[in-house]
Amino acid sequence: MTETIGIQLVSYSGAMGLILLGIFALVNYEHLIRVIFGLILLEAGVNLFLITLAYRADAVAPIMIEGQTAAMVDPIPHALVLTAIVIGVAVQALALALVIKTYQKYGTLNTRILAQRIAEESGTRMIEGIPTEVKKV
Amino acid sequence: MNAIWLVVLPLLGAFLLPLVYRENIKLRIGIGPFVLGLNLIIAVMIWFDVAANGAHTIVMGGFPAPLGIIFYVDQLALLFVIMVILGTLILWLGKEKDYIGYIQEETLLLLIVGGSCGLVLSGDLFNIYVFYEIVAVSSYGLAASRGSYAASVRFLILGAFGSSLLLLGIALIYAVTGTLNLAHLAVLAPQSLQGIVGVTAFVFIIIGLGVKAELFPVNTWVPEVYTTAPARISALLGGIVSKLALLVILRLLITLYESSAAHLLLLTLGVLGVITGELAAMRATHLRQMLAYSSIGQLGLVAIAFSIPGPAGIIAGTALALHHAIVKPALFMLTKAWGKQLSDLAGASKVSLLSSLLFLVFALSLIGIPPLPGFWAKFLLLKGALETNIAAYQMAIAVVLIATVIETTYFMRIVRLMFQEELKKTSTLKAPALQELMPACVFLAILLISVFAIKPMGTHLNTLAISAADKSVYIDQTFDKTLFP
Amino acid sequence: MTVFSGVIFTIGLGVLLIAVMKSLILEQVLTGGIGSIILEQAPTEVGSANIVSSVLLAYRGLDTLGELTVLFVAATAIGLVLGQRSPDTKHDSEAGFILRSAADLLFPFMIMLGAYIILHGHITPGGGFQGGAILAAAFFIPILASPASPLNHKVSSLIEGLAGTAFILIGLFALVGKGYFLAPLFGTGDIGALFSAGSLPLLYLAVGLKVGSELAGLLARLQEV
Repeated sequence: MTETIGIQLVSYSGAMGLILLGIFALVNYEHLIRVIFGLILLEAGVNLFLITLAYRADAVAPIMIEGQTAAMVDPIPHALVLTAIVIGVAVQALALALVIKTYQKYGTLNTRILAQRIAEESGTRMIEGIPTEVKKV
Repeated sequence: MNAIWLVVLPLLGAFLLPLVYRENIKLRIGIGPFVLGLNLIIAVMIWFDVAANGAHTIVMGGFPAPLGIIFYVDQLALLFVIMVILGTLILWLGKEKDYIGYIQEETLLLLIVGGSCGLVLSGDLFNIYVFYEIVAVSSYGLAASRGSYAASVRFLILGAFGSSLLLLGIALIYAVTGTLNLAHLAVLAPQSLQGIVGVTAFVFIIIGLGVKAELFPVNTWVPEVYTTAPARISALLGGIVSKLALLVILRLLITLYESSAAHLLLLTLGVLGVITGELAAMRATHLRQMLAYSSIGQLGLVAIAFSIPGPAGIIAGTALALHHAIVKPALFMLTKAWGKQLSDLAGASKVSLLSSLLFLVFALSLIGIPPLPGFWAKFLLLKGALETNIAAYQMAIAVVLIATVIETTYFMRIVRLMFQEELKKTSTLKAPALQELMPACVFLAILLISVFAIKPMGTHLNTLAISAADKSVYIDQTFDKTLFP
Repeated sequence: MTVFSGVIFTIGLGVLLIAVMKSLILEQVLTGGIGSIILEQAPTEVGSANIVSSVLLAYRGLDTLGELTVLFVAATAIGLVLGQRSPDTKHDSEAGFILRSAADLLFPFMIMLGAYIILHGHITPGGGFQGGAILAAAFFIPILASPASPLNHKVSSLIEGLAGTAFILIGLFALVGKGYFLAPLFGTGDIGALFSAGSLPLLYLAVGLKVGSELAGLLARLQEV
């Protein structure tokens, strides 16, 4: 029993740690590539959390082999994680494509500067999050 | 008719569209509208079936409720399905001449419709996440379709953050209940989801879905994307797709989280959205940006309505959502030629009287001037909030009224600019092309028809809301309690 | 200031997550759930030795369709964002002789491995996604070795569209025949045999081809920029 809790504790802590690291990176960094790394960490943490849910003490992978009688782990989180991983890959690929194009167009990947550039281009200026009158030349 | 066609048909269309275009370029005008039209017919057929026989469920793969995925088909979901399909079809009229990437854009439009239909019909939490991702990823792509990469990548990061939180919330719910089916969860919720895990899961889910629903803390992408994306895309995302996430939140509130704390959380987010959205809209200097902030405010109103427990909230929320889905896309379509600084709009009525009048009518309806439908939607909201007899909702009434005053200020400021100011000599204002005005005219027709059909629509909404608000109907329809106690 | 508030936010979230974790480990000992029912029923209902495959393609087949769609959406959006490659842009220089020969040498083996994993997805760990990823790698490694010979996007997008259509058509076929979308067809067969589990291997083939062509197309397009 204690061993089970030990394994679960390590796995859960790993998942929570990855999630927190990811969110920390998302909140604090301004460089887009770092932010995307944060996203990847966050997704990895959530996936690890899902996998941990499937864990049962002394259980084997849910694949039937002749003569095997041991209990099997919960198959549903495994299927969910497979789906979530592929979705994550798709989103990351799109993010990288957008980053490439953004860099080609603006020459910077700093989100704060990018926000200013967007506002300048569209004719809306943001000061501390609130739009103000744009001075006419 | 099986409701799965509503999802499968657009997906099939989207998978085959690039191949067909490559082989035969002449077919390109027809395919998208044809698929959507067919989908609309199917949706209306199912609507009449459900209206006659009551809500039913569709079982995927023949596995009964908690094991497999189910679609729960009721009138509330179908109303939003019809709204999405019809809205996309009308916006298709505003398509520009061919440009680079139009094949991909049309594919994405079909995919977003398919994903939206699945999102509102699905009765399985993880399936909701998958369809939400289809909708979200297509909107990142559509937002970037005309070179606004920076706004789109910032949108994507916030959206992916939200999706991860949504998935984490779903995982937490699975951890404490061992099931993903909404009806099964509704049975288990009173025991299992009241603890810290269940509440945390709800907060994560509401923040995750809130990114698309433009809820208060996670809506910073809204003004950037809507000012830089093409008008048609802003109209689709801001006017139509954003409500679907709110509908999912409503479903969760009905089935899983009946406690008043959960309702009050949504109410708070809605009130904050209304206040921040309307105040920012008043200070906006750019027409598109103003409409974007105003859509945050309007979705806040829908969130307030959905947070009112019982059928009254559903009636008001649905009415507000449908009304906004008619008015906001039309306003966004008008900005295609005029979406610049507000001061440039001086004397616009002399350039194009028709579009100025269209703007006036839509603005009046959005503010809520009787007899336009916007008045009735807001009236239902106030009535529903009054009847709750809970202090928080009474406070929300005050916020809604103040927001209405602010809305009047900023919309009437523009109307005054358009009609009373003289045209500037240096003005570069051009009259919008007829093609661009067509969607707005169709939306106007729908708006005017609904003025005369207020009464029957009200009774329909009433019956629809009463059956949608009843959790036991949902459970009995999807889930055989004798099989899984 | 923003860094400070970010740290506070993360710490607060951390405390919340630790409380959740404590409650999950110590208080909630879940017995049952739909997972255990599926473990019991899947062998007779679906007949695939790999129960994760049964969940993925039979019980939650719609999720898999949705997931393929997300991949397709991302590929389409990337096509929209990156646009067509102009023919006169410069390629990266060729890799050395050893790398190129190794890539050519690996190609047939990786195709074989990918096909094996896809076709045995219902009886062993593996399946359409894993096999598809290997297929994509098989096509992408030669591109890395010699960038001047790019992937044929026409062929890859053709396979992409047709495989996705095939998945839906199998589902619709079940809808017409059995009344349920994506219901398993053709009986269960002997559990553990290659030709078992009804329509699952066909669905996995569609998934594998779609994932393979989609990932290869994605990687190649990102590499071409």
